[in-house]
Amino acid sequence: MSVAASKVVTLEQLRVAISAPDSLRRETLRRFVVEGGHIVVSDRDFADVILSDGDPPSSEVRPTVALGGTDHESFGLLPRDANARQIDAALRAVAVGLIVRPSDATDIGFGSMPEGDIDALLTPRELEVLSAIADGDTNKTIARRLNISLHTVKFHVESVFRKLGARTRTEAVTKASERRRKNTITL
Amino acid sequence: MTDQLVQFSDALATRVEFAKPTVVALRLAHERHVSGIVWRPDAIIASEQSLPERDEFEVVTAGGAVTTAKVAGRDSSTNIAVLRVQAPLASSSITTSEAHAGAIVIAIGADGTGGASARLGVVNTAGPEWHSSRGGLIDRRIALDVRLARSEEGGPIFDAAGNCIGMSTFGPRGQVLVIPTATIDRIVPTLLKDGRVARGWLGVTLQAVAVPGALRETGDQSSGLMVMSVVENGPAAQAGIVAGDIILSVDRTSTQRFRKIARYFGSESIGRKVELRVIRSGSVITVKTTIAERPVA
Repeated sequence: MSVAASKVVTLEQLRVAISAPDSLRRETLRRFVVEGGHIVVSDRDFADVILSDGDPPSSEVRPTVALGGTDHESFGLLPRDANARQIDAALRAVAVGLIVRPSDATDIGFGSMPEGDIDALLTPRELEVLSAIADGDTNKTIARRLNISLHTVKFHVESVFRKLGARTRTEAVTKASERRRKNTITL
Repeated sequence: MTDQLVQFSDALATRVEFAKPTVVALRLAHERHVSGIVWRPDAIIASEQSLPERDEFEVVTAGGAVTTAKVAGRDSSTNIAVLRVQAPLASSSITTSEAHAGAIVIAIGADGTGGASARLGVVNTAGPEWHSSRGGLIDRRIALDVRLARSEEGGPIFDAAGNCIGMSTFGPRGQVLVIPTATIDRIVPTLLKDGRVARGWLGVTLQAVAVPGALRETGDQSSGLMVMSVVENGPAAQAGIVAGDIILSVDRTSTQRFRKIARYFGSESIGRKVELRVIRSGSVITVKTTIAERPVA
């Protein structure tokens, strides 16, 4: 990599104002922001970006990342349970004028009940294997954890990849979480 | 003689003027509001998803007068909220109508200061009934090619003849959907009476799974709903349902289709004794329980 190209990855430190009515939630978000290498400021006027739990007031004109927000005109919209990495990426993106939406932005708004694809559903065992993959386990660790042979693990992993149309473990985890949202109901 | 375009424009402006008394602004915060429809002189309806959890809202009526409305009931499954006003509001009476694809519609919103905002478009699609992700039955699937501001959600949609076809609602990806008047007429009396629309409840979160090969034949089904979590003391918990169980059917209704099973849990299901066919540790068993009423979220 050239010197010029490597300079691009230097991460900027942002001044972030956090807006969250709940104090516990505010503390969690503050930790996320600090871990991302940013500074939390209390005065909105000095902030580069606002991180808001829920929709910010419509008078807010600064770049905002709204967690669980519903305002389609907002710069950054993330689900309420977005993780630290997603929040960090979204803060950096809106700070440079980009618009951020989760890949499953279809969840926002009044939608229809999903009719899950019943052809390529995972079995309970495959779901167990998948959750181990999501934890970063190797096939060997999974075999030990589920008390099955390495051969059986490989068989399940292949089946999971095939059913999800995934090529890598990361892709399988991402696709499975999208699917879980579509295939879950409460009764 | 005025040309046709001017006539068309004048006709639209007249319609909007006529529609003005039917729309109100519900204040959420300073300079922030959503729209609502004066459905009856004493009742306003709005888009449930657009309203924060609050007991009452300040309402700006046509002309700019401000009054207070109390939330009488809300139903997230059909996205309808009803608010009661103390002093009856003056309003044009609303005549309702059916939507047809291609028909011109005027979407009205509240501008927040007592005036109306307007959008012109057509009915993009007018399909059959559908189920919302929260289990509600919507009488028709109506989508518009209109763009709306957030403050305009919950306003009335009129056809060319000036009849109301329903209430505007944001669907997925900001698409504008209409909650049809038939759905509103069905839900509003229940909300005014009970404050909610009751739904049947087992107290479980379920995820669709493939039935493992060995059990497909005994279970006579290739997929089912695996229990991911059980609400403490809910009907399922009382019946001994545990996480990991796979529910194959409720009475004889298979759980393979979400919509079919959701329909089974309407308000009439409350108190019904049901038999669940469940896969637990490798065998198919039957569990009996009674459907309860879903607690208010």
